[in-house]
Amino acid sequence: MAALRSTASALLGAAAARPSLRMAAAAPSAFRGMAQLADAAQQNNTASEQANLKTFQIYRWNPDQPSEKPKMQSYTLDLNKTGPMVLDALIRIKNEIDPTLTFRRSCREGICGSCAMNINGTNTLACLCRIPNEDKADMKIYPLPHTYVVKDLVPDLTQFYKQYKSIKPYLQRDTPAPDGREYRQTKADRKKLDGLYECILCACCSTSCPSYWWNSEEYLGPAILLQSYRWLVDSRDEKTLQRQDALNNSMSLYRCHTILNCTRTCPKGLNPGQAIQSIKKQMAF
Amino acid sequence: MASIARSSLLRQVATKPALQNSIIARAAFHTTAKRDLLPPLPQRVVGTVNDAAPVPPPSPSHGSYHWTFDRLVAASLIPLTVAPFAAGSLNPTMDAVLCATLLIHSHTGFQNIIVDYVPQYRTPRARKAAIWGLNAATVVVGLALYEYETSDVGITETIKRLWKA
Repeated sequence: MAALRSTASALLGAAAARPSLRMAAAAPSAFRGMAQLADAAQQNNTASEQANLKTFQIYRWNPDQPSEKPKMQSYTLDLNKTGPMVLDALIRIKNEIDPTLTFRRSCREGICGSCAMNINGTNTLACLCRIPNEDKADMKIYPLPHTYVVKDLVPDLTQFYKQYKSIKPYLQRDTPAPDGREYRQTKADRKKLDGLYECILCACCSTSCPSYWWNSEEYLGPAILLQSYRWLVDSRDEKTLQRQDALNNSMSLYRCHTILNCTRTCPKGLNPGQAIQSIKKQMAF
Repeated sequence: MASIARSSLLRQVATKPALQNSIIARAAFHTTAKRDLLPPLPQRVVGTVNDAAPVPPPSPSHGSYHWTFDRLVAASLIPLTVAPFAAGSLNPTMDAVLCATLLIHSHTGFQNIIVDYVPQYRTPRARKAAIWGLNAATVVVGLALYEYETSDVGITETIKRLWKA
């Protein structure tokens, strides 16, 4: 990387001092190239500008070398040249330092749930997690805990999605709408879905739940149960009893012990713990 | 599909000579205690990745009834514990009811622990042993409490005396 930077700065030379010229020179190149040029330009003036360095320790494991144990790899970035969120830092590391770093990302605005990972001990979305500016401590980034790791920060969510499929997450009805139009519901009924439909299935809550860690084979976990409740309270759904029956065993629902790690960790601010409690109350009598 | 490919990969690695190595590697990476009680198994996908996870048959006696009963017992323990001290008098019947409720409460509590930590699909025999061990313990404690209630002072009075001792 150092070599790359020095070449870039050599190429740029005196032009770096004049921003207008720099922009003009960089315009035809891709965004990444431009960022590097800008970095290199600033590198020349590092003595005058204070570099705000931050080290990221990132979990690395490569399935192509399965006998090598996982390790933490450190990358140092200048925060002045990095976006505010952890995902910005990860993308910058991948673009500029180490293209072998692997992670999922898509929307970069907390709506797709791809970049769920364990950052400084908390499951969250990298795109919604700010890099703390004030403290100088290293940031530690791991994949979601207690998941099978595909590579680096990419967890295997096969079981999670299979469980999601098992709760039949779609409207089930036998009777047609009375007026032949769409299935309508009252405002009060619609309000019951608030705080449930926003879930993006990032798996942050499920993988923070100790009960799910021990029993993910059979226990559904907070995310799936929140989704389950979303269909249980939907006034338009007619299979409520069948849905309840599917949860009515010792493992699927009742392994929840109200630990509430799910609610604490949810990057969307939802409350899976309350949803699970509501299912239990609904099924109690 | 990736996961299936990988699990076969892991299986290749986890042959005999590498086993020791992998244990050492795991121990070196983790800072927590190295007791290997039920370490996670290699990943196993039931059916294809597109199949839904199997839904167990409904069993309210292990599900909703069990949970409701649990909560009722736990809630009823609060007044039962406070009552003798609030009333200031000891009633052998109330004492016996308290004993029985406590016994049921601890039995279902331990049951929950066993269901959590001794998975049926993985260690069916240990599960069976644990459940029957618990049943036996509950019976023994029940007999002991019966003996204590009928031929001694009973638990409320014991606590009272210990408190003042």
